[in-house]
Amino acid sequence: MKLLTHNMLTSHVQGVIKGYPLIIKATEVKVNELEFSAPFVSRMIPKLEWSLISALNCTLIPDYEKDEEFLRKVHRILLEVEVVEGCLQCPESGREFPISKGVPNMLLIEDE
Amino acid sequence: MDEAASQLERDHVHSVYERIAPYFNDSRYKAWPKVKQFLLEQEPGSIVADVGCGNGKYLHINEDIFKLGCDVCRPLVDSAWSRGHEVQLCDGLRLPYRDGSFDAVLSIAVIHHMSTKERRIRAIKEMARTLRVGGRIMIYVWAMEQKRRKFEKQDIFIPWNPNPPLSPALRQRGNGTQSVSDDCDSSDKHRKVRSISSMVDEGDLISPGQQKQQRLWFFSRSLDSVLDFTSLTVSRSSSSTLQTPVDEASESRSRRTSSRGLIRQMSSLFSSSSRTSLEEDVFISDPNEQVHKNDNRSSGNGNETVPVELVHDCSAVPLPDLVSYQRDQSTLEGHMEVDGKSSQQEPLQRQESTASLLESDGMSGQSSEQPKDSCLRYYHVFREGELTQLIQNHVDELHVLHTYLDHANWCVVAEKVQVWKV
Repeated sequence: MKLLTHNMLTSHVQGVIKGYPLIIKATEVKVNELEFSAPFVSRMIPKLEWSLISALNCTLIPDYEKDEEFLRKVHRILLEVEVVEGCLQCPESGREFPISKGVPNMLLIEDE
Repeated sequence: MDEAASQLERDHVHSVYERIAPYFNDSRYKAWPKVKQFLLEQEPGSIVADVGCGNGKYLHINEDIFKLGCDVCRPLVDSAWSRGHEVQLCDGLRLPYRDGSFDAVLSIAVIHHMSTKERRIRAIKEMARTLRVGGRIMIYVWAMEQKRRKFEKQDIFIPWNPNPPLSPALRQRGNGTQSVSDDCDSSDKHRKVRSISSMVDEGDLISPGQQKQQRLWFFSRSLDSVLDFTSLTVSRSSSSTLQTPVDEASESRSRRTSSRGLIRQMSSLFSSSSRTSLEEDVFISDPNEQVHKNDNRSSGNGNETVPVELVHDCSAVPLPDLVSYQRDQSTLEGHMEVDGKSSQQEPLQRQESTASLLESDGMSGQSSEQPKDSCLRYYHVFREGELTQLIQNHVDELHVLHTYLDHANWCVVAEKVQVWKV
């Protein structure tokens, strides 16, 4: 699971008001190399929920479009880091969604 | 009804896809062109979700956008991940995504697997929730009206055939590169077949008798209209053959919850119908098909009656996802093999006799490998305008932009709009 994906995810357990950010508990992380594209990253930035990324020690700076170093940093964090094993924990209910072989299992059981 | 609906989908969608996932061969997967175009039109930097992505065949299109796929079938999701895609395991009725997180959403050949209208609406609403305002969704579902075939009913079970053989014409042209597994939406193959072989046209080479034998699918009553156990009429010719399996089914039904029993009855009835099917249609007409909510339990023990309408024919006319293989006249190996559960041993034997009947009719001899498990997939095929109406009447947050028929699929493109509640 890439951290960009994590930005979209939320816990959808019944009764939970705000199921994000999901707390990442990683037991295995991989870093891939992915071709960097400044336009891609800079267009992506306004769509993200930045509170989630600030938690990763990366704050949004003004004029980010021109700052290649910043864009590369965002690229690395969001697209190159991958959680292969671990789990995502709902911040409200504590329910854990396992990540195995890079795939988060967000399936709920019937009464959840 | 939701419990029955879930169970039906578990048995006849989820577990089937899990079983057939290993047969999906990526090299045979091509994107529907209009879906591809939809993806290519997205602005660079867009975030797009493919809900019900299967093994990820749309996830490689357009490198300038970020795509997420999700599906309920673990083997397919794993397969998509191994191709380098970002995927999650989840249920289309409860998407684990924040509101308004996507610029575009795809739902290709997915919601026709939902067994009630309410669930189909819920699925669409869920996807609309995850779309940002101004974002677009593209939905493809199987059409009931198809060029050469007519599904007489909307709720059907279609067997999956892992080894559909090539037609003689195709074989001659050395088209041995077609692998023998089935897949959904094999559009490219379909077009290839069409272009190289004009003579292999539906119906041309098939005598009416053969044609009748080769159509193969099962009709079921929609779960939306309640299965009224007490008021169904059964055609005389078939009632006797249905007696035994109904008894079995009703036995098993008493042991389980009514919804499970319902499913078993359906399954057992498919197999039971096969014995009579080749000679005649087992067709139960019920003018009272309207919806009137009626709890299974309260409708009693319906021992004498049949809850579903079944037709068993074989057809050489291609199904939307079996396009390239069903075009040949010689075989339809989509034999119905029902799940080998204990209450269905007898029907299983009848299945095999059906199989041998087909063989003796001069079909090609590739019947050695048949799926032993039940690979009946449930579909609700859509009438013209049905999907559009569903959205217009029940999903305020989506505004329909385009509707069209694409290769036996109804397609809708809709835009998320802001809904103000006063």
